[in-house]
Amino acid sequence: MRRQFLKTAAAVLTTGVAAIGFGSSAIAQDAAEFYKDNVIKWIVPYDPGGGYDEYSRIIAPYLEKYSGARVDIVNMPGSGGMKGAVEIFNSPADGTYIGIINGSAMVTNQLAQIEGADYRVSEYEYLGRIVADKRVLVASKLSGIETFEDLMQNGEPEIVGATGLGGSTYVDAVITGDVLGIEQRVVHGFDRSGDIRTAMLRGDVHAMWGSLGSALKGIKSGDHTVILHGEKNPTGVLEGIPSIYDVAGAQDDAERKVRILESWEALSAVGRPVAAPPGVPEDRLAFLREAFSAAMNDPEFVAAAADADRDLLFASGEEMGSIAAAATELEPDVEQLFVAAIRGEI
Amino acid sequence: MTILEGMISGFWQSISLSVFPYLFVGSVFGLIIGVIPGLSGHFAMAMAVTFLYQMEPAAGIAFILGAHATVAQGGGLTAILFSTPGTGQNAATLLDGPQMRDKGEAGIAVGAAMASCFLGATFGALVLGLLIPVLREVVLFFGPPEVFVLAFLALTFVAVLGKEDMTRSLIAALLGLLLAMIGVDNVTNTHRFTMGSERLADGLQLVPVILGLFAVAEMIDLWVRGGSLARNMPKALSAKETQAQIFQGIGLAFKNWWLVMRCSAIGTAMGLIPGLGSAPASFVAYGHAKQSSPDRETFGTGNVKGVIGPESANDAVEGGALASTIAFGIPGSSSMAILLSGLFILGLDTGPQMLNQNVDIIFIMIFTIIIGNFIGTLFGMFLVNPLSRATSIRATIMVPVLMAIIATGAFAGERAIFDIGVAVTFGILGYVMKILNYSRAALLIGFVLGFAVEKNLYLALLLDGPLFVLQPIPLGLATVTVVFLVWNVWVIIRDRKRVIPIEPKA
Repeated sequence: MRRQFLKTAAAVLTTGVAAIGFGSSAIAQDAAEFYKDNVIKWIVPYDPGGGYDEYSRIIAPYLEKYSGARVDIVNMPGSGGMKGAVEIFNSPADGTYIGIINGSAMVTNQLAQIEGADYRVSEYEYLGRIVADKRVLVASKLSGIETFEDLMQNGEPEIVGATGLGGSTYVDAVITGDVLGIEQRVVHGFDRSGDIRTAMLRGDVHAMWGSLGSALKGIKSGDHTVILHGEKNPTGVLEGIPSIYDVAGAQDDAERKVRILESWEALSAVGRPVAAPPGVPEDRLAFLREAFSAAMNDPEFVAAAADADRDLLFASGEEMGSIAAAATELEPDVEQLFVAAIRGEI
Repeated sequence: MTILEGMISGFWQSISLSVFPYLFVGSVFGLIIGVIPGLSGHFAMAMAVTFLYQMEPAAGIAFILGAHATVAQGGGLTAILFSTPGTGQNAATLLDGPQMRDKGEAGIAVGAAMASCFLGATFGALVLGLLIPVLREVVLFFGPPEVFVLAFLALTFVAVLGKEDMTRSLIAALLGLLLAMIGVDNVTNTHRFTMGSERLADGLQLVPVILGLFAVAEMIDLWVRGGSLARNMPKALSAKETQAQIFQGIGLAFKNWWLVMRCSAIGTAMGLIPGLGSAPASFVAYGHAKQSSPDRETFGTGNVKGVIGPESANDAVEGGALASTIAFGIPGSSSMAILLSGLFILGLDTGPQMLNQNVDIIFIMIFTIIIGNFIGTLFGMFLVNPLSRATSIRATIMVPVLMAIIATGAFAGERAIFDIGVAVTFGILGYVMKILNYSRAALLIGFVLGFAVEKNLYLALLLDGPLFVLQPIPLGLATVTVVFLVWNVWVIIRDRKRVIPIEPKA
């Protein structure tokens, strides 16, 4: 990491010297020329080796290919991804600082006004989205629950595992439980979602919410079964399994429930976007968006992501803008519910 | 693929030309990272993982795991020669390693440490191999109640750790537990002891705390005292003397093979337990070594068994730590999370698929740990001479150089200037503790286990209610803990009675 730091420091220095040298003429450069042989600093708000880091490292060469710039990945973990998100938000808006963020978590932190959430999700300039998680509720084999019906008719509260208060596993469980009237006891405090999975294998915990991607391994081995999901048009392994909308639609007060669940889905839709600080010059932003879109659609990149078992769900920069707005501008009653859920007041 | 076929295939792949060079480079890289204070196995892996994208699976695994496996070995060198733990795992080595150096036995200490590391790593890796058929069951054995009681058991070892008295050790351990609470509580989202600082919301990082307590404190001590690191040593050992000492040390490790086995078993078992980490393992091993030796009083004054114990445990951890990652694809630590994503990048699936179809990959890991540590031992021997010369350089030159390295190490993990401040603060605390004879090891153990104790207590209470201690396994472990504590108190009382009549004369 130190070497990377030195490299970045050298790069920033060179850029700085170059900027002083060219000064006035820089304005005349068009965006493509600006990026050619320039350095883009790509901030990853987590440690190397995680999903965010892996996505970044797979796509970086393709962004280099289409932008002409060198992409330097800088890992900046801390505060559950907030440190890096704030860093991106506050970095110089010249188009050389971008980064991947944990969109959904950043939205919930912002809604609950958690200390350190010094950014506005809807004010970032987005290059686009790499992927959004499909949220699923999985039950362990040991629990004997095979369908959502089993869960509802079991007669005793199910133990649903979750990580920290306000984490996505927690918020998902509390909101869907509240809206759909699931009899459950949410046990939170696990360090990471992997620990919940171990607890399910031991039989300590019956079910958990999580992303389909990380649940796949357990589903394939038969340890876990998906019993509910948040997709309106389920495909693949989710086909034939009821969605939250199916369940809510059959209950009383269906319209209000579906409205809340749609807002909840909007949270997950923010997914993992690539963001730049607010105020990046328009021509450079347009150029970056185009390069990002080209990279995301490069067949070689798509194959590389598939090789690494990493899902893709591209959304353009413009689309991301409206997704982020939809996720943060909630109706008052829904917002109240979400904030209560994030703070653990439900 | 049967286990035997997997083993044979794994062995040939590990020493094949397409894998071995990567294993070699990885091991040497890990060793060097370990020697540099503050740079940990986690750091070595994080750097190594970025190279995996262009590698073949077998070569990639050997490279990344080799880099992780030898870090503790390198760290032991720094601990003994510079009184500075290269990594958290080596903090326990500080209790006797530097004292041996001061007696002019640096070579013996290093030789014993290197050989113990190798033996411990081999033990842990072999146990992992033997456990393959029952790996899933073994990993699922430890739930929150079990981990809580085990963490507590480990905590009671502070009582016998240092040469300091038990009251002071307990005070230090409790202070460590308190320090572990700093930050945002995962369960209630409450900011605890953060004093409004956003930096403290993430809690104190382990690396700067260890660097501060031991390394910075040592530098302050050295600066105040003057002279050179190696006390009572008019001149450095000659290359020939060092060489002879190293072989003598290696011999001692083999001579104490039964101790090595027991401490390796402690390390392996603690590696299997999720969330305990390797620093406690080496302290518990040290405690055990001290407890079980007839020459208990000489611990803390440069007893070679005080080096052999922790050093064999801290590399044995490796085998145990791999278990849950391999069996379920669930990482038990941050380093294992990086390894898992490395495997992911290499296109390898862990869990049942690996256990059934890719046993050879597991054996590549096992042989990587063994061969990697062997390479580390050989390479470490070459490093001793130049490094040990540096220990006789006078303080006015040595302290600034080492402080610069320590500050870099503290900064590197999170790239935060704040962490340098943490290291300095804990340096002052550590120095004060050293002067007043409070056990820094106890504080560190409390700090490291604080997380595990609190989190697992909370989960155990939620999942099994307040009577969770009465379940068979936790009850058994709790009984061991109580017996251990009572016995210790009894020994202390007995020893005190013995000492009292002599006191008036002294």
